[in-house]
Amino acid sequence: MAVIAGRPARGALLPPQLRALTGTRSGALAIFVVRRILWMVPIVFFVIVITFTLMHLAPGSPWDKGGGRQLSDTVVNNLNIRYGLNKPVFTPWFDFSTGHFIPFRWDDQFKLYIWNVAHFDFGLSYQYQGKTVSTLLLESWPYTATIGVLAFLLIIPIGVGLGVVAALRQNTRIDYITMGFATIAASFPNFVIGALMVVAFSVLAYRATGGNFYLPAAGFAMDDSLIMPVVTLALLPIAYTARLTRASTLETIRQDFVRTAWAKGLPERLVVVRHVLKNSLIPVVTTLGPTFAFLVTGSVIVETVFAIPGIGRAFVVAIESRDYPMILGTTILFSLVVAIANLVVDVLYVFIDPRVRLT
Amino acid sequence: MTLATAGVFIAACGPGGTTTENLASPDKQILRANNGTEPNSFDPTQQTYTYERAVGIQTFDSLFRAKADGSDVEPVGATSYNVSPDGLTYTFHLRQNEKWSDGKPVVAGDWVYGWKHFLNPALAAGYVDPFFDQTIKGASGYGNVDVSSASAVDAYLNGLGLSAPDDHTFVVQLDHPAAYFKWVATLWMAVPLRKDIIEQAAGGAFASTDATKAEAWANNAATIVGNGPYKIKEIASKDHVTLVPNPNYWAPAPHLQQIIYYEIADGNTAYSQYQTGALDVIGVPLADVTVVRSDPKLSKEAILIPTLSQYWISMNTTRAPLDDKNVRMALAKSVDRDKLVNDIEHGNGKSLSTFIPKGMSGYDTSDNAQSFDPAAAKQLLATSGKKDALAKMKLLTRNTTASKTLNQFLADQWSTNLGVNIQLDVIDSKTVTRDIRKGQFDIYGLDGWIGDYPDQQDWFDIFVTGSCHNLNWGCLSDPSYDDLVTKADAESDKTKRASMYSQAQKKLIDNAVVAFMYQPYEYDLVKSYVKGLTVTTTDDQNLPGDGRYNTAFITQHT
Repeated sequence: MAVIAGRPARGALLPPQLRALTGTRSGALAIFVVRRILWMVPIVFFVIVITFTLMHLAPGSPWDKGGGRQLSDTVVNNLNIRYGLNKPVFTPWFDFSTGHFIPFRWDDQFKLYIWNVAHFDFGLSYQYQGKTVSTLLLESWPYTATIGVLAFLLIIPIGVGLGVVAALRQNTRIDYITMGFATIAASFPNFVIGALMVVAFSVLAYRATGGNFYLPAAGFAMDDSLIMPVVTLALLPIAYTARLTRASTLETIRQDFVRTAWAKGLPERLVVVRHVLKNSLIPVVTTLGPTFAFLVTGSVIVETVFAIPGIGRAFVVAIESRDYPMILGTTILFSLVVAIANLVVDVLYVFIDPRVRLT
Repeated sequence: MTLATAGVFIAACGPGGTTTENLASPDKQILRANNGTEPNSFDPTQQTYTYERAVGIQTFDSLFRAKADGSDVEPVGATSYNVSPDGLTYTFHLRQNEKWSDGKPVVAGDWVYGWKHFLNPALAAGYVDPFFDQTIKGASGYGNVDVSSASAVDAYLNGLGLSAPDDHTFVVQLDHPAAYFKWVATLWMAVPLRKDIIEQAAGGAFASTDATKAEAWANNAATIVGNGPYKIKEIASKDHVTLVPNPNYWAPAPHLQQIIYYEIADGNTAYSQYQTGALDVIGVPLADVTVVRSDPKLSKEAILIPTLSQYWISMNTTRAPLDDKNVRMALAKSVDRDKLVNDIEHGNGKSLSTFIPKGMSGYDTSDNAQSFDPAAAKQLLATSGKKDALAKMKLLTRNTTASKTLNQFLADQWSTNLGVNIQLDVIDSKTVTRDIRKGQFDIYGLDGWIGDYPDQQDWFDIFVTGSCHNLNWGCLSDPSYDDLVTKADAESDKTKRASMYSQAQKKLIDNAVVAFMYQPYEYDLVKSYVKGLTVTTTDDQNLPGDGRYNTAFITQHT
């Protein structure tokens, strides 16, 4: 992370025209953001290299079936040609058996893929015939992102709120109840929570009310079908955020400046909001970036239990069926989401913590 | 042989009746079923999985379909056919006035175009082998075509024995007599296609090597123009497919005005959806079978349907001691199949130590060579003197709950009944497929076959020499078996044919290259207001009655 407090000689490596910008706070921020965005290119490149290698090392071909009669060798061969899998994955530079360099070739699978990605062409899915990876990602991501964003919107008020309340009422019944809830929520896997909620709020509620009042067990629409998936997805991050906020707040309220604030006779609301929260939220904000990235990249379990056609399940299905272009496309998307979420967090620091300088 | 299973009618009225008392209004004639997974392609020629075929057979008609009792074929796209005396030329007389869903007439040229699209090596359709590329005249060069050369692909396609002498006659020439070819003509991938629509969707004429353009039409409901009873109204990717009646279909309009196939992968989720009234038809997840059986309401909505399938254990005949027939037979005879069906499958199946499943011709359980008999099994193993060697063998197991449960049961049976401890080798599914294709395994279970059509050729061809490492994992190579099957496949005399297949089945059982285990049955739930389903053994396992939705209807309910 390129966040270093109080380092001198900022922008020393920049060309003179840009160096002038670093003198202003907003100029420094703009340069920081641009530089981080440019860094995403090599990051994505290395993500591709690693994914490409691992993916081809995994046993099995996209054309193997889970049982029964397999495709004939002829069909497999023609499919390989159809999707370019007959070409070498990588071409080595050096042949150790002969001691000669191997002539450079452009048309191995890896270089062709990089070339296509540079043109924003992520290829055709192997599994879904005639569909591009871009189409598949655009079809499934909105579902995942909607649920992820809604879950995130629950985390901030509930997670932070519970944490602060528990800290301010430390060792009271409120603290114990809150933290007890957080411990339970964090220790139940979400497939258990999801399944239990379906039984309670769908099946049993349907039976008890004769079908008048229940939550849908599956499907996606902008209605009550979102409640259970969002809650299932949000529960663990809420618990985690609440515990973190509590710990951080407890540390802050023992600081001298908080004691001073109390001593000045400030009302509790001002002490908490202006002095305690502003400081105790810094570590919480750090985790919210990755949490956001985690939520909007989908949970295979939540998407399977509630039959949501999202990207989390699409990714797992792609891996299981060795749909190479889909695996790569999804990984690239995820890596960009993580990189952008971290960038946003770094920028937020500037506003939360005046000590932070971006370089 | 008598045919065991006739079409099961679950309707208020008697079989064949059309009583539609209490019919719900047309806007309520909606059937909501779970198809499990989105089809990988909506082009029937490219479909290989059951969840793909499920949509394919609604949107496209083949020349024939299986009769409800599975005894023969009945006309759909064609009304009759003639076979030349040498058995090499099939002339199909197409249905007069048959129309596409957009109203244009279906002509013989569409059938030629569709079959050529299917047999285009550049598209590499999964089901070309072995029904077509080794049967249709000129098709055997399939694997040798240079699929990067349009002229080579065109030359191959033009050389195929497919022709349309007039608009209502479709002629198929074969390489060798094939008595089963009428059944091949029932397959879901052997359909007509519309050249004008495919080219329009591709943005104009395209080279025969361009697989991407050739498939552009199949991802858009508007360009999926079929000749089947239903057409696609909506594709909500990975969520559902909505089918509505094809207004130009030749048969009387069906009652069902919408069929919605949901794509819920998790059986428990589908079960919850069924219980909350969001689905009308589901397959019951294995874990919930006992609950459904004991539930007073649900048990009344449950149906148990035999499937045209059989599961078996493969044994690698190239590895000692499994190269010894007596050792293989000892393994086969020491598994209590009734216990397997009751304890593991919760009664959803039929223990079967012979090959051909119940519900099609050739079903005959009189051969008890592989039947459960622990004493005889022990005796066989003792005589062979290879007990210690057998204990070193491993049972290759896919890393899925179902496979692990089944194989643990098999290992327990061998331990109890044979005194041999065989270890499970549990690895991920893709690796298992790779290993069995290379013949790198000792014992592998369970694998099996779901029939494409109720004809024995579909089954016996699995174990002929040369099919090694593709379902015939254990690599049986028995020239006398090959000879019987090749002759039976070509034989047009029903009695002679049945007798030869019967002999072939005996050889298969006696050789014990595989140990036959059980025929899975499908346990489905169907809401009581869904009536008139014609359930047959050739239906999709999770979609009872899907071969004949024209008889089904929804009654009034709250």
